[in-house]
Amino acid sequence: MAAIYEFLRQFIIGLANDGIIHYTFSYAFVANAFVCALFIGPLLGGIGTMVVIKRMAFFSQAIGNAALTGVAIGVVIGEDYTAPYASMFSFCILFALFLNFTKNRTKMSSDTLIGVFLSISLAIGATTLLWVSARVNTHILDTVMFGSILTVNDTDMSVLLVTSLITAAVALPLYNRMLLASLNPSLAHVRGINVHLLEYVFVLLITILTVACVKIVGAVLVEALLLIPAAASRNLNRGIRGFVAWSVIFSTASCVIGIWAPMRFDLPIPSGGAIILTAAMIFLATMIIRMALPRYREASV
Amino acid sequence: MHGPSITFEDVSLDLGNTSVLSGINFGIRAGEIHCVVGANGGGKTSLIRSMLGQMPHKGNISIEWHDNRTIGYVPQSLDFDKTLPVRVIDFIGMTCQRRPVFTGISSAKRGVVDSVLERVGMAGKKNSMLGSLSGGERQRVLFAQAMIPEPSLLVLDEPMTGLDPDGKAIIEAAIVEFTTAGGTAVWINHDIAQVYEIAQAMTYIDREILLDGNPREVLTTGVASQLFPSLDLLGSATRDAS
Repeated sequence: MAAIYEFLRQFIIGLANDGIIHYTFSYAFVANAFVCALFIGPLLGGIGTMVVIKRMAFFSQAIGNAALTGVAIGVVIGEDYTAPYASMFSFCILFALFLNFTKNRTKMSSDTLIGVFLSISLAIGATTLLWVSARVNTHILDTVMFGSILTVNDTDMSVLLVTSLITAAVALPLYNRMLLASLNPSLAHVRGINVHLLEYVFVLLITILTVACVKIVGAVLVEALLLIPAAASRNLNRGIRGFVAWSVIFSTASCVIGIWAPMRFDLPIPSGGAIILTAAMIFLATMIIRMALPRYREASV
Repeated sequence: MHGPSITFEDVSLDLGNTSVLSGINFGIRAGEIHCVVGANGGGKTSLIRSMLGQMPHKGNISIEWHDNRTIGYVPQSLDFDKTLPVRVIDFIGMTCQRRPVFTGISSAKRGVVDSVLERVGMAGKKNSMLGSLSGGERQRVLFAQAMIPEPSLLVLDEPMTGLDPDGKAIIEAAIVEFTTAGGTAVWINHDIAQVYEIAQAMTYIDREILLDGNPREVLTTGVASQLFPSLDLLGSATRDAS
């Protein structure tokens, strides 16, 4: 894998050296982050449409918070504190499965239950992180919470690549089924769809995607990248095709611009913040377009 | 086509501390329109969902299938966010194909999707947002998806809700044609005159079975006149028929 990453890095650096793209991409760490952006941008944009349709925006926020706890556990058990993936994946997956199990058992509405779990995960994460903060450089915590392209290495890229491939391989063939299951579970069941199993699959996909993106976007902000591009796309589209396509475009553009802009303009902001601010500007632009164009006019109440 | 026959043997359903269905015994014959009738909250939808394997019922529901085991299901309504960017064609696509619907309808399905939408009078609205349709139009779309792939059993939960007279006529004709071709239709129906007119069998449920049989026979009993105070409607239907 290292050879492939090196090839991609050298390709991007070559483009930068030839003046085809901005010179900041000639730095290896920027090239790394750019490759990661090209992995996660389309994927987060595509999966984000499903998150919006299934009204699970706050679920990924809860997982992001759980990732903080995962990091703290990693520090406690002696994992490399710059990349405690084993702890993050394990804790977040258990957390997600327990949340979904509870949702199925209690039949409580998603927003109520996710709100409860979100608070719990934030409380546990904050408590454990403060507890272990004496053991680590506190800048590591900034990295986990808000993302940092400076620390992205080959391991992070491998985690992202494998996660992206798994997510795409599972989500694409199941996209229609997941969609139908969220629109009408009873109809989906008659069509031979295992609605509960698909729910668990989707929850797991969001979980591994969220954890894999922590390094780039940050645990606190990864939920926003699942949500904002899809919400912006929803502002402008009336069909699934445009909804997914524009969500992917907005998400990828946000990632690329969010990595490039702070370098280009010497802005002292973390990559996660820049990515989300870019996505937010796109969202505002789509809101203005929606309000301005008569074709989007609809009932006011 | 050869639709299935269905037998309910001592079926009961308790949800929480509430008895929803009790002592349900009846049969649905193959190739017939069998209407399930009853007051609101009487357990009609629960009965159908028990039949579809979606309820923790007790007792035995056996379906005698033949070669085609496809069920076409028309749910009572589609409860979803009306602003979702889902077109009619997207909805039909997601129910009948594996290929992600955002890549379009597969060429293998395009013909049948178009013809089914044409059949229910929705071909001209296939690119409309699902949320922008009227309730009746949405019912037509729900009926259309149930016909792909071709079912041998149609299960309809109040498919006429919100439909205009044209829509009712289209759906009614399609159901009659379906059973004439051998399919079995189980239909929750509140329109007792329509039940009288076109159903070969009916079952009235209010937690338990109060009437069961051929509508032309059971609707002339004393129990029926108590259950349907507006039986004069039925009288006019009978006069029209004669």
